[in-house]
Amino acid sequence: MPDGSFAHPQQRQFNPYTDNGGTILAIAGADFTVIAGDTRQSEGYSIQTRYAPKVFRLTDRAVLAVNGFAADGNMFVKKVKQRLEWYRHAHAKDMPLHAIARLIQTMLYAQRFFPYYVYNILGGIEEDGSGAVYSFDPVGSYEREACRAAGAAQSLVQPFLDNQIYFKNQKAAAGQSHPAHLPLSDVLAIVIDSFTSATERHIEVGDGLEIYVVVAKGRSPQGLETMRNVQELSTRPDGDRMFILRRELKKD
Amino acid sequence: MTSIGTGYDLSASTYSPDGRIFQVEYANKAVENSGTAIGLRVKDGVVLAVEKLIHSKLLVPEANRRIQTIDKHIGLASAGYLADGRHVSNRARDEASSFRENYRAPATLQYVVDRVGLYVQAYTLYSSVRPFGCSTIIGGVDKHGPALFVIEPSGVSYGYRGAAVGKGRQLAKTELEKLKFSELTMKEAVTEAARIIYLVHDDAKEKDFELEMSWVGDETNGIHQAVPKDLLDEASRKAKEALETFE
Amino acid sequence: MDHFPTNWGRPRNDAADPYGTYPIHQRPATKDTFAEGVQRTQQPIVTGTSVLAIQYKDGIMMAADNLASYGSLARFKDIQRLHKVGTSTVIGASGDMSDFQAIQTLLDEVVTDEFTHGDGHDLGPAEVHEYLSRVMYSRRSKINPLWNSILVGGFRDGKRFLAYVDLLGTTYSAPSIATGYGAYIAIPLLRAAVDGRVDELTEENARALLHDCMRVLFYRDARSLDKYQIATVNASGVHISDQIHLDTSWSFAEGIRGYGAQTQ
Repeated sequence: MPDGSFAHPQQRQFNPYTDNGGTILAIAGADFTVIAGDTRQSEGYSIQTRYAPKVFRLTDRAVLAVNGFAADGNMFVKKVKQRLEWYRHAHAKDMPLHAIARLIQTMLYAQRFFPYYVYNILGGIEEDGSGAVYSFDPVGSYEREACRAAGAAQSLVQPFLDNQIYFKNQKAAAGQSHPAHLPLSDVLAIVIDSFTSATERHIEVGDGLEIYVVVAKGRSPQGLETMRNVQELSTRPDGDRMFILRRELKKD
Repeated sequence: MTSIGTGYDLSASTYSPDGRIFQVEYANKAVENSGTAIGLRVKDGVVLAVEKLIHSKLLVPEANRRIQTIDKHIGLASAGYLADGRHVSNRARDEASSFRENYRAPATLQYVVDRVGLYVQAYTLYSSVRPFGCSTIIGGVDKHGPALFVIEPSGVSYGYRGAAVGKGRQLAKTELEKLKFSELTMKEAVTEAARIIYLVHDDAKEKDFELEMSWVGDETNGIHQAVPKDLLDEASRKAKEALETFE
Repeated sequence: MDHFPTNWGRPRNDAADPYGTYPIHQRPATKDTFAEGVQRTQQPIVTGTSVLAIQYKDGIMMAADNLASYGSLARFKDIQRLHKVGTSTVIGASGDMSDFQAIQTLLDEVVTDEFTHGDGHDLGPAEVHEYLSRVMYSRRSKINPLWNSILVGGFRDGKRFLAYVDLLGTTYSAPSIATGYGAYIAIPLLRAAVDGRVDELTEENARALLHDCMRVLFYRDARSLDKYQIATVNASGVHISDQIHLDTSWSFAEGIRGYGAQTQ
């Protein structure tokens, strides 16, 4: 009470959530998908660590980016991975991407009244070989999209993506139309630019950048292998190929 | 066995007319068939040793241990049915752990032995259960110093300077009686224990055996551990030597 | 069954208008009749302040002072806030000290259980940290948290380990970590000295660095003490030091108006 009396009991609520900052982003190409996230973890104005991954490999062709409350995020990824392992034991194959997406919806909605405070973006290769991105809200609403940004700098990055990927507010040259999909090199440039820009203008974004690239079986990685700081994560040479590309971001 | 066919031996809840519980006595028979286990309480610690009979060459060496750890500072060796021994040691672990939870201190040996004794005794009361076919030697170091106890299938427990159970217990006890426990060090006790196990092992009647030894005391910072391999090998070597010059 | 969706999810309340006889904007603000009941949310009572830890050449080093405060009262001045777990791990806690003692008991039990299994396996720092984060996260999920920020440090199989976990279950790892005011005051000093130089930092360097940070914290943190301990974990195992005293100089205060004894 303002008068300092205890006529009414005081209540100090424990808040089981916090926001650990950071940003994630995914873009689908015709036969590839790029999923990226910065590696800074913060609370308030403090940087807790400069390296806490937010993007995780789930299967040979699926990658999950998780952003929001880090403790919920790590627990959620752990549980998704566990469900995928059980699926492998039961069916002797990896769960297809669209099924993982529905699984994630079910798992998120199961916590509808005590949600995982986490924004998920799932990226990878669909069974028909097309690149796909699925984005989720914390309680499981989801849709398949061509691109999505989420997290602290969503409001900075998404409009840029709308313009560069969906060609919003752009007019095609006379007699021509906008391409349905961009080549990998263009997409990577857009992703890196998105994060360097977000790092400039948002205090919770920076330190490091991890970009996962999944390329459909038999399709060319379009020179990706020769880029610096690239590591191939593929388990089989004849399947879908997965790469991780690391870049430094400003640390201030 | 005069008890057989009298009908008084069918249940642990039935006395014979002369006041015996045959089921408990049968349980003791199970212990007598087992490889010998001994314990020595010396001035700075306790040493446990077991003659583990190897009934098949296919067994992995050092598997099926008969000496277990109850708490950091307590060890247990069992003779008789190994599975029963493991059940008793599990109970002992729970007792030691709950003592820690309640009092934030390591349990004394007397406490664990009393509690386990009570538990073993309860299995001599009911027709629906069978008494434990094992005798356990519990040894360790607590705030009072080194301590050594034996719990029998009846649930009775006694403290000892030197204890022996199983097949070769008579000869082992005779040998133990010759020792001056208050003067022995743990290292010397290891040698003596190995010698006694080798001595009581009946080469003619028995199959192969494995010597299993553990100790707890000043040498181990009060932690119950297996006797280190080099020390064990050295003790075995000396034991075999002593065997040739015996008598 | 309440067929008015606007009432769904609201607390039970006899004073509320159960039949929705008023339009939404005219309904009285619902009062939660249970607001003053069922309170299990706690607050820290006896607390410890910052814990600092860094990685260095041969392992990790952790420091925490010996004070347990009761609000602003320096209540217990001989409390150890560093605790050895198993053979290659140390934990240090800030926050509620009774919760910390419960955690110590819990970990000791787990370590003893592991030891009595007798399979030669024991818990290293990574396992201890994983276990602790599960405990902390599950307690926060029951809205009954253990009110601590804890650092877990260790050295095993030639690898350093240093990580953090708090009452929310948040975890992370870094070359230097600090809890409480240390996160604001000591971290800038620690990062400047440690980041990118972990493999060059000697034990003496590390010790001197933590000593300096503990002194700065003692100058600025009103809930700190000039008596602290350092834990080191390296190839030779866990070692927790005796109490170390900080020497401080307050003479600068004499010359500052409003700080010292002047009345004008």
